[in-house]
Amino acid sequence: MAPFVEVMRQADYNKLYDEQLNRQQRARQRREDDRSARRDRRNRQDARQRRGKRRKPRLFDRGMGLDLPFLLLVLVLLIIGMIMMFSASYPVAYYEIGDSYFYIKRQLIFAAIGIAAMILLSFFNYNRLHNIVPFFCIFTFLSLVAVLFVSGRVHRWFSLGPVNIQPSEIAKFTIILFFAHWGSLFSDKMQHAKYSVMPGIVVFGLTAGLLILEPHYSGIVIIGVLTVVMLYISGIQVKWLAVGAVLLVAAILLAWVTGLLTYAMERMDGWGQALNPPDELWNATWQTRNSLYAIGSGGLFGLGLGQSRQKYLYLPEPQNDFVFAIVCEELGFVGAVIILIIFALLVWRGITLSLRAKDQFGKLLGIGLSSQIGIQVVLNILVITDWLPNTGISLPFFSYGGSSLIMLLAQMGIILSISRTANIERQ
Amino acid sequence: MANRKQKSQKGQIQMLRQRTTALILAILVVGFGAVAVRLAALQLIDGPKLQELAVEQQLVDTTINAKRGTIYDAKGKVLAQSASVWKVVLAPAYLKEKDERSYVAKNLSKILDLDYSDLYKKTKENSYYVVIKRRIESDTREEILKFMKRMNKKFDGISNSVVLFDDYRRYYPYNDLASSVIGFTGSEDQGLEGIEYQYDSYLKGTPGRIITARNANQTDMPFQYEQNVDAEDGNNITLTIDETIQSIAEKYMKQGIINNSVKNRGVCIIMDVNTGGILAMVTADGYDLNNPYDLSAEALKEIRALPEKKRASAESAALSAMWRNKAVADTYYPGSVFKMCTASMGLNEGVINDKSTFFCSGSTTVYDYTIHCHQLSGHGTQNLFQVIANSCNPAFMEIGQKLGEEKFWKYYQGFGFSEPTGIDIPGESDDIFFSEDGSMKPTDLAVASFGQNFSITPIQMITACAAVANGGKVLQPYIVKSITDVDGNVVKTTDTVVKRQVISEEVSRQMCDYLERNTTQGGRNNGYIAGYRVGGKTGTSEKLTYTEGVEDYIASFCGFAPADNPQVACLVFFDTPQGAYYYGSQVSAPVFVDIMSEVLPYLEVQAEYSDSEKEYVDTAAGNYVGLTTEAAEKRAASDGFTTTVKGSGDKVISQIPAPSAKIPGDGNVVLYTDEESAAETVTVPNFIGYNVSTVNSVATSYGLNVSLSGITSSASALSTAQSIAEGTQVAEGTVINIEFGESTVVND
Repeated sequence: MAPFVEVMRQADYNKLYDEQLNRQQRARQRREDDRSARRDRRNRQDARQRRGKRRKPRLFDRGMGLDLPFLLLVLVLLIIGMIMMFSASYPVAYYEIGDSYFYIKRQLIFAAIGIAAMILLSFFNYNRLHNIVPFFCIFTFLSLVAVLFVSGRVHRWFSLGPVNIQPSEIAKFTIILFFAHWGSLFSDKMQHAKYSVMPGIVVFGLTAGLLILEPHYSGIVIIGVLTVVMLYISGIQVKWLAVGAVLLVAAILLAWVTGLLTYAMERMDGWGQALNPPDELWNATWQTRNSLYAIGSGGLFGLGLGQSRQKYLYLPEPQNDFVFAIVCEELGFVGAVIILIIFALLVWRGITLSLRAKDQFGKLLGIGLSSQIGIQVVLNILVITDWLPNTGISLPFFSYGGSSLIMLLAQMGIILSISRTANIERQ
Repeated sequence: MANRKQKSQKGQIQMLRQRTTALILAILVVGFGAVAVRLAALQLIDGPKLQELAVEQQLVDTTINAKRGTIYDAKGKVLAQSASVWKVVLAPAYLKEKDERSYVAKNLSKILDLDYSDLYKKTKENSYYVVIKRRIESDTREEILKFMKRMNKKFDGISNSVVLFDDYRRYYPYNDLASSVIGFTGSEDQGLEGIEYQYDSYLKGTPGRIITARNANQTDMPFQYEQNVDAEDGNNITLTIDETIQSIAEKYMKQGIINNSVKNRGVCIIMDVNTGGILAMVTADGYDLNNPYDLSAEALKEIRALPEKKRASAESAALSAMWRNKAVADTYYPGSVFKMCTASMGLNEGVINDKSTFFCSGSTTVYDYTIHCHQLSGHGTQNLFQVIANSCNPAFMEIGQKLGEEKFWKYYQGFGFSEPTGIDIPGESDDIFFSEDGSMKPTDLAVASFGQNFSITPIQMITACAAVANGGKVLQPYIVKSITDVDGNVVKTTDTVVKRQVISEEVSRQMCDYLERNTTQGGRNNGYIAGYRVGGKTGTSEKLTYTEGVEDYIASFCGFAPADNPQVACLVFFDTPQGAYYYGSQVSAPVFVDIMSEVLPYLEVQAEYSDSEKEYVDTAAGNYVGLTTEAAEKRAASDGFTTTVKGSGDKVISQIPAPSAKIPGDGNVVLYTDEESAAETVTVPNFIGYNVSTVNSVATSYGLNVSLSGITSSASALSTAQSIAEGTQVAEGTVINIEFGESTVVND
């Protein structure tokens, strides 16, 4: 049995060895399992904690706070805007109203209300806006119709005591809100024309039709550009936009060839002819011409803060759409470019922070609202430099106006609200 | 399936990122880029142009009129002065309502005496500066100010629609004195004639400006930009003209024009022969400088007689003729006056001398052409002095021939006839000589020797006369002595400019002697003035070329005093006298005498009477009233008078001539001692047609005093006029002025 004994002994050794190995392995496994079980437990607890309601946000926090750079940019622009509006408005206020501080006093009140609205909305969960989109659309449509019955040469605003409310101002927000809502709802179907081109045409067509009646041509331009921007980021196929662009260019060419364009330009208060207008348009182009005088007078470094001459009743309503002409005159090209850079930073920050939003609605809404500021800055300056007809595009943060400033700051509040969710730590 | 959804979601995020990037690029790069480019183009490239346009509408440039300088005479009397008045300016752009316009137009038209509908039209203009009326006086200004107060009460916001601006108006205190010299100004205060025109740049000053930044309502901005440039008042001008001398000259020139029915006005120039300064320059008749557009009654009558179409041009022709300064702007043939130059040339060249003799047969033939002397019977043999005194044409033709055309031309140029004198008065004419280079035909030379067929200006003639008198120096005449600024600093003074020595001092002295003897011999009709040594020459020139038929004449006289040390020269000429006389000796010389008799004492030239003259020099009668008869007689005798006592009283109660009245040096004073005798009278006899001694004896026999004037030193002189007519009852001792004239008049 000797050899068997040897074999058996050997087998036992192996067996012992194996058993020992298995035991060790099992122990290791067990230890590991214990550890992973503990980890899992902890993880499950964490997950349980995070699920459910949003954590209570703090004002400034790495996790759930406001986007500090964006807020600072808003406040900087607001302060510069207020100072420049004051400088531009006080001669006009002095001569026409008898109180140099007439406009700045009111603007300060509007700004206070606007900042309050901005802070309030930054704590508001923007996702709840989904529910009020239909209401907003109907309200905007009705006010656009109602404003047409206001008497006057143009029907652009309701006068409610000290503030004028421009329905087109509301319409801009509604367009952004509606397409952000639509784009997030049908995010996977946006490549179909049915879900992108059709609502675009319907909504833009409806709004533009009402704005033509006001008339408010620059409002149409803004609404149009905003519609395209919203559809573009929502995922519309680029070919449709290309088709639209081709149609637009063709229409303009046709108008140019038939002479309709010149007619339209004349109708639009001598657009593009401010410096050498025909006699009958001398008065119609007065504001734009004096805006050009003001901008040109500024030169490289400007005449100095408060030193504008064109604001002495030469440039009518320098506190409104043409405030930037006075800015150019007083601060020069250098000052104007610095202000443009601050605007650019604001737009850039607004868009990039919106991209980090947790949901498609937040992304689209934030990008739309941020772009709107950039677009309006560009269009405003093109108006005061006589490249677009003079039909009322205000400069965000600068132009005088209660409803638009409050509305603007409220929109900034929505972007800040989006920035809170964007700043939630990634899993 | 889930995988695909995840994948599409991932793709969606990817697409959003890409499209957002594109969007950012579109807005920030394309949009903001376009804006920045547009702003750069406007601010940096078009900036200066746009700024200019802006400044153009922002700045308002208001002109402040400068006060025009004053013109003074040599003694500081004001000849022309500007005084404050106002102009009314309307800014109709402020008047927006119809009732505002009609209110303003109605009131202003009433205050300013303007047409309402014209004014109402102006209120409709869209302008801030419409001049409504200029040169309103302070009382009208007060009315406007009152109206503006009323207007501001009635309407709001149109207070700037009527504005009063300072303005000036030119006043000429002496009206027509020296009118052709001083000139006048136009509606814009610019000089139009004479000194006002010539020295306009000095007189007018620099208008000031207020450049203010205005807002679009044209009211001042509350601060910044106001640039004031003060108006700099014009400089003051002092003339060499002396108002007193000018007045004397004008007085007698006016009289001379009336006496001789002069058709084309007369000229009198009085010049300082040593400096060239013009002491008086008269173009008679002048015009009222305060109303330079008012024509004389006769001229208006003539114009009214014309057909309507020709009236306007006739009126402007009449005005320019009236304004014309004949002393510098018109040319004439100098005639015999020029002989003083011809004689000087001959003496200076040595072709004649004091001992030369000339023969006059009554005419001279030059190249088959016979030229007569004014005395057709001829003067016979004469020495040089007689030639000048007789003004003998053939003798001067001989002198001319001896000189030759080249020399004649040289001296013609030398005396300054070939070029304007350069006097600082506008409109000086050039002479008209036979040819540009002085060449002439022998007949031309012959007539030129006695001053015919070439034309010069009066100012050239007197400048040449001054050169003959002052030792041969041709001067540049001038009329502005100095120019001072408002603070009295001298801006410019005129110095005497001696252009050249044309004849030697020796010849000049010789000529002075001849010319003085000429006046002394010729008497009043040759320029003789008792007590003064006067040199001079008469001239009667034909207005047409000598060889043609002669109708009109220019009667002139040019002389100077004192002959031993000449100080002033005086030229008198009348263009076309149409009275009884037309010779220089009859028309111009008496005026010269009258003028110089007053001017020389004024210039404090000492009178020196010769013994024969002293007899006739008037002195002032002493006061003998209140004295006893004896004392009065004694006193009168010591004063050189004889006395006649009338009445039976002891004391003198009255006397004739009255105390300090003019009386001949050896006259008779009648002393009255009671009332009855004072009433006694004598009848004035005829004094005319007698020589001096007869006049004196007649006067003595009647108990009258006679004051003699004219050529009393000549035995052949006869009385020509008496101041109190024959047959008049006068008190004994009354002084009667008797005028004497030469019976032989030189009719050159």
